[in-house]
Amino acid sequence: MTSDITRDANAAIARMQSINKWYGTFHALRDIDLQIASGERVVICGPSGSGKSTLVRTVNLLEPFQQGRLHVCGVDVGADEITRAARRAVNRRVGMVFQQFNLFPHMTVLQNLIVGPIWGSGVPRNEVHELATHYLQRVGLTDQTHKYPAQLSGGQQQRVAIARALCTRPRLILFDEPTASLDPEMVNEVLQTMESLAAEGMTMMVVTHEMGFARRVADRVIFMDQGQIIETAPPDDFFDRSQSPRLRSFLGQVLSH
Amino acid sequence: MTTHFVRQRLIDPRFAPAAAPIDWRRMLFPTPAIGVLSLLLLTLFAVSGWRFVQWAVVRAHWVGDSAEACPGDAGACWAFVTARWKPWLVGNYPPDQLWRVWICFAAFALFWIWVLRRSQTASLQRVLLGFVLLPVAFFVLLIGGGPLPVVAPTLWGGALLTLIVTLATFATALPIGLCLALGRRSRMPVVRWSCIVFVEGMRSVPLLTVLFIAATLVPLFLPRGFTMDLFSRAVVAFALFNAAMAAEVFRGGLQAIGRGQIEAATTVGLSDFATLRLIVLPQAITAVVPALVNIMIAVIKETTLLSVIGVNDLLSAVESGARSPAWIGEANILTSGYVFLAAVYLTVCYGLSRYSRRLEAQR
Repeated sequence: MTSDITRDANAAIARMQSINKWYGTFHALRDIDLQIASGERVVICGPSGSGKSTLVRTVNLLEPFQQGRLHVCGVDVGADEITRAARRAVNRRVGMVFQQFNLFPHMTVLQNLIVGPIWGSGVPRNEVHELATHYLQRVGLTDQTHKYPAQLSGGQQQRVAIARALCTRPRLILFDEPTASLDPEMVNEVLQTMESLAAEGMTMMVVTHEMGFARRVADRVIFMDQGQIIETAPPDDFFDRSQSPRLRSFLGQVLSH
Repeated sequence: MTTHFVRQRLIDPRFAPAAAPIDWRRMLFPTPAIGVLSLLLLTLFAVSGWRFVQWAVVRAHWVGDSAEACPGDAGACWAFVTARWKPWLVGNYPPDQLWRVWICFAAFALFWIWVLRRSQTASLQRVLLGFVLLPVAFFVLLIGGGPLPVVAPTLWGGALLTLIVTLATFATALPIGLCLALGRRSRMPVVRWSCIVFVEGMRSVPLLTVLFIAATLVPLFLPRGFTMDLFSRAVVAFALFNAAMAAEVFRGGLQAIGRGQIEAATTVGLSDFATLRLIVLPQAITAVVPALVNIMIAVIKETTLLSVIGVNDLLSAVESGARSPAWIGEANILTSGYVFLAAVYLTVCYGLSRYSRRLEAQR
């Protein structure tokens, strides 16, 4: 989006300030400063082990960090203030879609969708059912309502996971390599679902290797390497006028095939 | 060399060829050495089988009400079994109150029919709940109180006692075991360490030792004026011992739940407790049900140890039957009783083992 107002710091839905994280002695995130504006679509890419997954998992406090400050959807936490209460407060407002789907295998599709809103946020049952029906229609799976995850294809499972995230009415959705464990022929159905979400103005942070998706959907593309943000640019600049040699060699690897 | 191949007509699926009949000759005698081994084993089975049939059927004594019905030891003394089935089934339960026992047996049989028919209503949660609630109901009905005359557990015996001890053990050991397993994963060090010490302690001590301690040492620790009968002490010992076993089984089940499940539960806004109750436990418990059935089999067999500390269980009832004045005679009489017992335990435990297999296959 071109408007400067949406990029205004006050409209930021997430703000990371000099965040540092270590796994033991390994410095996984180094001085991360990042702002996500409301309605913005950010794609994060980079080689494996570069910290991109860790970055999005930090945003909803699945991963604690040792230094810095995080501000997400009105919740403000410092590195030493990461409590269960803070994590829950963040997770009520932020949704997440995982690489391995992580659907609850003992629940039907419908139960997967409604368990969070009912038991987590106390939304009344009839309201949740309406929500669930609406979002299942949204991802095109109305006819699978009463099936179990194991009866669905990978692509369908990931769409259920997206609907499940939507059912919690998030203000920001994090995608952690949502198509990486899908068969090639199923990647598109998931990407299309994500694109239509983007078109509706959902704020999204997406870790992915789908460069076509990044080009079509992203407002901003971030390249990470060795736990740091190396380059950030709108997709056209990012792909066609990349500055750092590291990004150029990465793009050379990714786009060549 | 590359050739370009294009299939013109797609192949329709065909039926698989019929399975060849089993070739016994090739299975039993593939090589001379294995053939000799097969022959030896078959002869052994045939001879011992024939001898057993001779003893158990052909020369057996079927009716009679005292040791005189079974002279010699050439044949089994089933008269002993047919004459004494009642005390073996219910112990010394007062005859005019026996309807309470029959209700328990009938309810238990109906419960199993309900479980085995795989109806939609018999979900695992309900079956497990039944295993926790049934023993409580049985216990209340058997011991009586209120309008019903009280029948002290010292009068219970035989199969009834074995059943009640098994069920009571199961009903208490499962919840305690689950708590221990969860406690072992607790973040609070005191809770975690006490659970570890208890579980590892119990697992490293023979059950018989635990039973003796419960029978003789525990009364010394009880407050003055507070007594527990031998039956209750034995049940407590069984429950605590098997809780430690169940705890290890549950721990395995809990470990099998991937981190992704818990993360997903967190991201849809579930609290830690809701995650445990709705996401972790249902999956963990379903995964360990076959192992829990195995614990049940172990408990059933372990109840025979009760006879050592003087509780009138099924084994003890058979032994005291052989000591009763009418049945003092050949050792063969008691042996017949033991063979009968073995058959009973074999039927029950093998049945349960099959059930556990079926549960495993269903997953």
